[in-house]
Amino acid sequence: MKYPLNLITLALISASTSVIAADFSVNKANTTRVNTDKYQCKRCADTSGYRGNVELGAVYNDSDDIHSANAFNSEDGSNAVLNADVQYRAKEGYQAKAQAINLGLANSSAHLEAGKVGSYQAELDYRQLSQYQHGDAKSNLWYADGTLTSSAAVQTQELSLKRQQIGMGLSAQQQFGEQDYQVFARYSQEDKTGYKASSFVSPRPTNFGLPVDAKTDKLSSGLSISGQNWLTSLNYQYSEYDNQIDSLSLTHLDDVYAPAPDNSAYQISLAGQYLLNRTAISTQLSQGRMIQDAAVIQTTGTPIKNWDGQVDTTDGKLAITSMLNNRLRVSGSVNYAKRDNKSSSWEFAQFESDGISGAFKQNVLIDTEKLAYKINASYRINSDYRLQAGFDHKALERSYSDREQTNESTVWTKLNIKSIANSKFKLKASFSQRDGSQYQASSLTSSIENPLLRKFYLADRDRTAFEAKFNHAPADWINVNLTGRYAEDDYSDTTLGLTSSEDYSYNLNIDMQFAEKLSGYAFAGQQWIASKQNGSQSFSAADWSVNVDDEFINLGAGMDYSGLMQDKLSLGLDYLFANSNSDKQVVYTTTQPQGDYYSYRHSAELYAKYKVSEQLGVKLGYQYERYYDTDNAQVDVDAINGLTTFGKLNHNYNAHQVMLSFSYQLR
Amino acid sequence: MMNKFIITTLLFRIFAFACLSLSVQAAPWNHLTGEQLEEQLAEKFAQGKYSNKGADSCLMCHKKNATVMALFDGVHGNISQPDSPMAGLQCEACHGPLGKHNKGGKEPMIAFGKDSKLDAASQNSTCLGCHNDPKQMAWHSSSHNLDEVACADCHQIHTAKDPVMNKLTVNDTCTNCHAEEKAAMNKRSSHPMQWNQMTCIDCHNPHGSMGESSLNQLTVNDTCYSCHAEKRGPFLWEHAPVTENCVNCHNPHGSVNKSMLNSRTPQLCQQCHMDDGHASRVVSQPGQDAFGGGNSCLNCHSQIHGSNHPAGSKLQR
Repeated sequence: MKYPLNLITLALISASTSVIAADFSVNKANTTRVNTDKYQCKRCADTSGYRGNVELGAVYNDSDDIHSANAFNSEDGSNAVLNADVQYRAKEGYQAKAQAINLGLANSSAHLEAGKVGSYQAELDYRQLSQYQHGDAKSNLWYADGTLTSSAAVQTQELSLKRQQIGMGLSAQQQFGEQDYQVFARYSQEDKTGYKASSFVSPRPTNFGLPVDAKTDKLSSGLSISGQNWLTSLNYQYSEYDNQIDSLSLTHLDDVYAPAPDNSAYQISLAGQYLLNRTAISTQLSQGRMIQDAAVIQTTGTPIKNWDGQVDTTDGKLAITSMLNNRLRVSGSVNYAKRDNKSSSWEFAQFESDGISGAFKQNVLIDTEKLAYKINASYRINSDYRLQAGFDHKALERSYSDREQTNESTVWTKLNIKSIANSKFKLKASFSQRDGSQYQASSLTSSIENPLLRKFYLADRDRTAFEAKFNHAPADWINVNLTGRYAEDDYSDTTLGLTSSEDYSYNLNIDMQFAEKLSGYAFAGQQWIASKQNGSQSFSAADWSVNVDDEFINLGAGMDYSGLMQDKLSLGLDYLFANSNSDKQVVYTTTQPQGDYYSYRHSAELYAKYKVSEQLGVKLGYQYERYYDTDNAQVDVDAINGLTTFGKLNHNYNAHQVMLSFSYQLR
Repeated sequence: MMNKFIITTLLFRIFAFACLSLSVQAAPWNHLTGEQLEEQLAEKFAQGKYSNKGADSCLMCHKKNATVMALFDGVHGNISQPDSPMAGLQCEACHGPLGKHNKGGKEPMIAFGKDSKLDAASQNSTCLGCHNDPKQMAWHSSSHNLDEVACADCHQIHTAKDPVMNKLTVNDTCTNCHAEEKAAMNKRSSHPMQWNQMTCIDCHNPHGSMGESSLNQLTVNDTCYSCHAEKRGPFLWEHAPVTENCVNCHNPHGSVNKSMLNSRTPQLCQQCHMDDGHASRVVSQPGQDAFGGGNSCLNCHSQIHGSNHPAGSKLQR
């Protein structure tokens, strides 16, 4: 114990003799001898006018699996694509920008903005996002006009989602006296359409494509006032979700499935910050409300037509950080969050009875309340060594839970070193412990659970974690980053449920600049996650267990050479390999491996860019993707008696993309 | 154990490699320690010996440097913008008073970036002098500030367009340090970050936030709801761990499992559900019955994020 005491003594002595850290902000400048009126800026560059580039191209994809459109950003066949990044700047301070990214492809965006810098600005946005899961999901349940129609023969459908967003915003800024006033308002609307995987019991489980057709409107606005050492802001945000599909019926039975209900939410926040020398005090208080009063599907015994679902949220934070001198910084924060469910509670008839609650069940209104605080200190031992330490605590209360209160405390320390051979080391260690109130099955939610079960997010847990980061530039042309992590979770009081988890990984990144015009990179990473859990079929002590070993490998390399043909031609190459694997073994009388569950991807891209003139460029690119995934749980449509699946939804494809584009540099 | 041995060996070899190699710093004041440099610069700053001609004085020597001149392509070099540094003390607004630096270039100036010996807090004080607005409000208590990340570690201002302000390149900047998150983008399931269709700053604010984990919204769930409003509810029948925290079951940075789940079904569900005879049964083979085949537990309980059907207490309809 002598060493830490000596270290603390040394720290205190050093702290007491050091000066306050330098503050080079322009408002602290000694300008008594400056006359900026004499500044002419004759040598400065005139950048008024247009600048930027426009690129027009075409892509051709050859693929027999729609999943490749995630990587290629377009489906099989040909597509035109537009990219642009153009700015206009006038001498009077007016400016405009236009940006288009991959317009014409599955994921694209456009942004327009115009205004006077530092005064006002208007902007307009467009964005499209697409996600492709499967092109050949099979089901005998089909959606049309609110009805799921069943057919004897299975049909194929595509599971994919598309989001289309438009947005617009206005902002203005004005200086009044010493204060700067800023105001903004932004509105956006998103349409989300497509089909996603779901399932329904009718009366046997049947997987089907759930139609998605929803609109989300968002509005945000704010006002802020700032002085030299302070600022305050008032913000408001509102979101409204409108699902065009209210309910799903079968041809012989109405309203059997309730898609996500319409809902809305708002939040109003007041925030402020005050700077006192090298101390910063920040605070925010927010009040929000989530409302869901969509019409409730009417079944026999339903007591209401519309539910008055309402959750009020209160969030607050106070954070203080202070540089006591140029060596020592201390910080602390308190965070409060409350979710108060003010909805009404009713008894609803259930189609299934469980023998305990009977055929009627009352909806449970879950409240949560969190109080967290953090304190930490950072001490610079000298310009090369810095030590940090902190303590975090989080107390969470929840109603109608098996454990109504959990407390989690964490101690951590970090050491930064940057003195050894032009290298930087960062070491971090932490230990956290979670416990809480007595664990007991809630009479309203889980009275039928095995009393030995400890749900993983409520259970006692000890977490130990280490992290080491190393950065080194052995020569001017190479930079090496290596990160290693280890974390262990021990659920110390768990007999049934998740009992332990171990996660360790490394990631190595190397950047190289071989010559002025030749650069390259390489990376490699692996991660292993091992977890164990116990179960009981006999409603007593553990009689089965599962060991899961996850492994992830990620490799990549690439280069770029721009010195060919009098610097007119540049060539590039990128390669990536990723392999995700999960091995599961169930131990019950005998140990049984669970079959394949893995995916891998090889992705390679080659491109050549040729500068025809100072303005005109041409790019030819080729991309290849090899993708494979498998899941032993995926079986043919009727392979399991009583279950209708989507079929084997695995992927196994080779896909190719060729791209040709012409770009024009405006200046 | 073998894997741990490999990591240890790798770490040791890299460390040995580091100790055997040295590189050279170019600045004429490189012989100064960080503290000596800071002391000299603070003294210069207090004396306030600014140049007579502003940027013209600096450009007498630095005009041939393309990086220096690229400042005029961006907002910080815009003379017509009243609150731009070029409308005030010009180059010296950020790099400090010229003093005797123009007499041989040996007197230090305030410099930024990875080669600067000036500590992050001192570098950042220059930027924060002007950027004191709501977007940076939480900076002082942010993890990046506490970890002494300098503004110039991520931002470039001597350019027409700062790469970190471009949605096609911002992920590259973040993953320069956040290597594990960079790798996780390529796992079996992840948000579409690897193709820059989503960016780190869609969810996080690198300048810190008044919420948790530097998120743009106050809570993890609020952040998820901002794109997944259909899961916001409130629902007639809620699933407690969902309302509490989405990351109880999901890892938004990526997972070797489908749907960014921390574990596969049915085991993920069985970490919380162990009733008599139903959820507690051992699923010895995944494709053998409705408990393990297809969507496993979700074959029946597909409304796992909450149900609004009056008879949906078991999240089935």
